[in-house]
Amino acid sequence: MTAYLLTIVTLVAIAAIVGLALNVQWGLGGMVNFGLGGFYTLGAYSCAILATSGVPPLGAMLSAMAICAVACMLVSLISLRLSEDYLAIVTLGFAECIRLVVLNEAWLTQGALGIPGIPRPFSDRVGADAYPVLFVAFTLGMLALVYALFERIARSPFGRALRAVREDPVVASTLGKRVWWLRMRAFGLGGVAIGAAGSLHAFYYTYIDPAQFGPIITAYAFMAVIAGGRGSHLGLLLGAGSVMVLLEGTRFLKDWIPFLDAGQLAALRLSLIGLGLVLLLIYRPQGLWPEYRLRVDGPRT
Amino acid sequence: MHFVQLLVNGIVTGLIVALPALALSFTFAILRFANFAIGAMLTFGAYTAYVLNVAAEWPLVWAACGSAVLCGLVCVATDRAVYRRLRGRTSVTLLVASMGVAFFFENIVRLVFGNSIRGFDVEVARPIRLGELRVNHEQIVTLSVTCTALFLVWFLLTRTKLGRAMRAVADDPELAAVRGVDSDRVIAWTWFIVGGLTAIAAVLIGLDGAIEPLMGWNYVIIVFAAAILGGLASPMAAVAGALLLGVVEELATLALPSTYRTGVAFALIALLLLFRPWGLFGKPRVER
Repeated sequence: MTAYLLTIVTLVAIAAIVGLALNVQWGLGGMVNFGLGGFYTLGAYSCAILATSGVPPLGAMLSAMAICAVACMLVSLISLRLSEDYLAIVTLGFAECIRLVVLNEAWLTQGALGIPGIPRPFSDRVGADAYPVLFVAFTLGMLALVYALFERIARSPFGRALRAVREDPVVASTLGKRVWWLRMRAFGLGGVAIGAAGSLHAFYYTYIDPAQFGPIITAYAFMAVIAGGRGSHLGLLLGAGSVMVLLEGTRFLKDWIPFLDAGQLAALRLSLIGLGLVLLLIYRPQGLWPEYRLRVDGPRT
Repeated sequence: MHFVQLLVNGIVTGLIVALPALALSFTFAILRFANFAIGAMLTFGAYTAYVLNVAAEWPLVWAACGSAVLCGLVCVATDRAVYRRLRGRTSVTLLVASMGVAFFFENIVRLVFGNSIRGFDVEVARPIRLGELRVNHEQIVTLSVTCTALFLVWFLLTRTKLGRAMRAVADDPELAAVRGVDSDRVIAWTWFIVGGLTAIAAVLIGLDGAIEPLMGWNYVIIVFAAAILGGLASPMAAVAGALLLGVVEELATLALPSTYRTGVAFALIALLLLFRPWGLFGKPRVER
């Protein structure tokens, strides 16, 4: 039971980091990233390839974060001048390309076989039985770090400028904000977090193959952001937690509906995510927790 | 001769993409959002036709027609249930909602039918040889069906009252409303046509390849690439875009493994958005 709980906490924390990334890109910046799964794969594979070829695990993780950030910035550059619809298709296309490269370039990624034996950070410090606890602490630490950073950014002048761009890019640029540069930086920041999450994924499983990286990552992150409230990091944590509890709950559906196999359960879960996404957008677009707004008290009269 | 073969294959590949690209442009022009559920609708249409064809033992032609009507109705229902309630919100909200719709439909299909690969109940025919050129039976079907559908759409858009109303709403919804065009009716018809075109294309895709839950998803980027090539909001140009994309994809197999089809489509999207975001045939228009 403890092992199960540790697994759940680790996975929720990793998913929450991806959710935070989307919250900066879409929630604050208004830029839809349908390629989250692709960037996540990129992060996991960069980290795994570097770590298995002799780079120390933490170094590999930092490099993966940098690679993801650069990839995000370059991809966003393609459509920065255009409306958000185009960014959505560009990110989706990029994610598909990553998937194709991972599947087909076996010299680099071992193709469908996957990369086994990924070294983990701090594995020489504690014994094998205590390691899961240490890893949970490490993952939660990363989550706290990303959360603190993004929360600070949301309340900084940069965060406010970003929200201004989201609400109306024309007005923001009239006020002298460089819209494309703000957007590109926000997208890159999200990339840093996705790279970290992907690396944690690689460390956690110590073995990665293309089948682990489906659209569920993207779906889950969108669900968490919408449930939590766009732009609100605290809401995101609540959203990520509650979505995960609900989804984990569907595992126990197996006891009630025994004729469903694992694949069908996964499909049921994804269709529920889809349905939930649509219902939330219609009935509770502001989410669980409202977004932070700077308030200035005017002189009382 | 090899080159001509590739050209023929490319045109047929393009024709398969033409109908969904046209459907995508329709939604973009009239409803003003990028419909990411187009792939899921393809999958849904193919499976509907599969059920009618294999389980109900209808001939494929009737199964395709039945699927087109059913898909059209499902699209209208989805609009009533989802998109209509979100009208007036930002296009990004609609975009994300369409992704939710896509997850829903695609996985309902997967839930019911599982992941196994299926095919329509048709007889395998020998390819026809014209000199050194090989033409499949499916390619001839694709050519004739797509051309007929395109002619009907062209006729609808240019020669009927509904088509005129659709173009009016696409140009300027407020002006159209002032002139007494019932936009709810136009939107419902648009969804019906979009659903029908998608279902017919889905049958062609199922004939050309196989029916599996990911079939539509694999076409999303290609369909978007074709529509963007034509300039997202101009339906008939999307057809030209699709043909061009098909030919480019087939020619690219000379240099790249065919598994990178989506990669080629993505590269085309990237190049276009950087240099000619209004499409190959359109005119620049400032849009933020």
